Amino acid sequence: MSSDDAYVMLISSLPKPEALFLAKQPPLSRLKLDARLRVLAPEDATTLKLVENVLDWRRLPMGLSDREVIDRGRAVLSRIENETLQTIVRERLEIRTCVAALRRRARGEGSPPLDRPWGFGRWVGQIARNWTDPSFGLDGVFPWLREANRLMAENDSVALERLLLEQSYLRLQRLAGEHSFSFEAVVIYVLKWSIVDRWARYNAEVAVRRFDDLTEAGLADYATLSFEGGA
Amino acid sequence: MNELVIALGWVGIFAPMAIGAVASAIGCGIAGQAGIGAILETEGGYGRYIGISAFPSTFVIYGIVVMFTLDREVTPENAGGLFGVGLFAGIALLYCGIWQGRACASAINAAKEKPEIFGLSLAPAAIIEGFGVFAFVFALVISAGIPGAV
Repeated sequence: MSSDDAYVMLISSLPKPEALFLAKQPPLSRLKLDARLRVLAPEDATTLKLVENVLDWRRLPMGLSDREVIDRGRAVLSRIENETLQTIVRERLEIRTCVAALRRRARGEGSPPLDRPWGFGRWVGQIARNWTDPSFGLDGVFPWLREANRLMAENDSVALERLLLEQSYLRLQRLAGEHSFSFEAVVIYVLKWSIVDRWARYNAEVAVRRFDDLTEAGLADYATLSFEGGA
Repeated sequence: MNELVIALGWVGIFAPMAIGAVASAIGCGIAGQAGIGAILETEGGYGRYIGISAFPSTFVIYGIVVMFTLDREVTPENAGGLFGVGLFAGIALLYCGIWQGRACASAINAAKEKPEIFGLSLAPAAIIEGFGVFAFVFALVISAGIPGAV
């Protein structure tokens, strides 16, 4: 059997996630996913961990400088030999660079310096040169960037998060069509799982915040009512 | 030189059976792994997953039939024909077996999520089976023209 069929059993044992934004939780728990992933060859397990570590913000230590984040990305890319996985990591880091640039601009900062590293990938120079353009002149590469800029300007963080996750998910979805039972298919599944998990958690956090706000508003009314009643 | 030609003739007689066995082993292996994976994830219908994973086993049977059809006294006159028909029938069966295994694995993977597409998901595997049958039938037809048929 070729490497294309390396993980037929593993892939077949993984449940397909519901459509993104409809799923209230990932199709299986992380504990169960990790148990299934135990069949990975040791070198593949190491590669998967590398990819997850560099793409999952929660696994990055707090307080890393831009240069450290970029160096980490480059170090991981140099250790990954698989072309598809390199593409996945590179594209995700480039998306983050674009979003970081949007945030900088939203904070009112000027064009990033060209003499020290602040972003990752092929579009760093293009972004700096087109700093005043809403989409940094990258409409052809990232058609969603203009919409992201609008949402950031409106401070609609939920819609922005949704847009970014959707773009990452769609890209993985497209790549998944080219890999059925290979190691790449396993990595793509795990990354899609992470996106579903992240949205489910984010959604829950937003719901809790909204509940707190409503509760506070309700209690405020109640306090007023009881005060009025007591008077 | 004649010895080499005769040896090639024997290769041609045994090739469809041996390569057909390899095809079935790989195909059933791929589809079988998918079946086991699906069993881990689903609550029932295990039998049909295992049934699908046995689909590629037909290629070794085709190989055996072609082998018996080609089986005859090998002479310098018929060795080339036996070699050509036997080897290429075997190669055709090999590719059909491997790709049918992959098609069955995909069918199992899809059917475990959507049981209602179970039948339809087997269409690609059935089409590949058809190609294998072409190779098999025409190997039988063409072998009738090779000298020395019993």
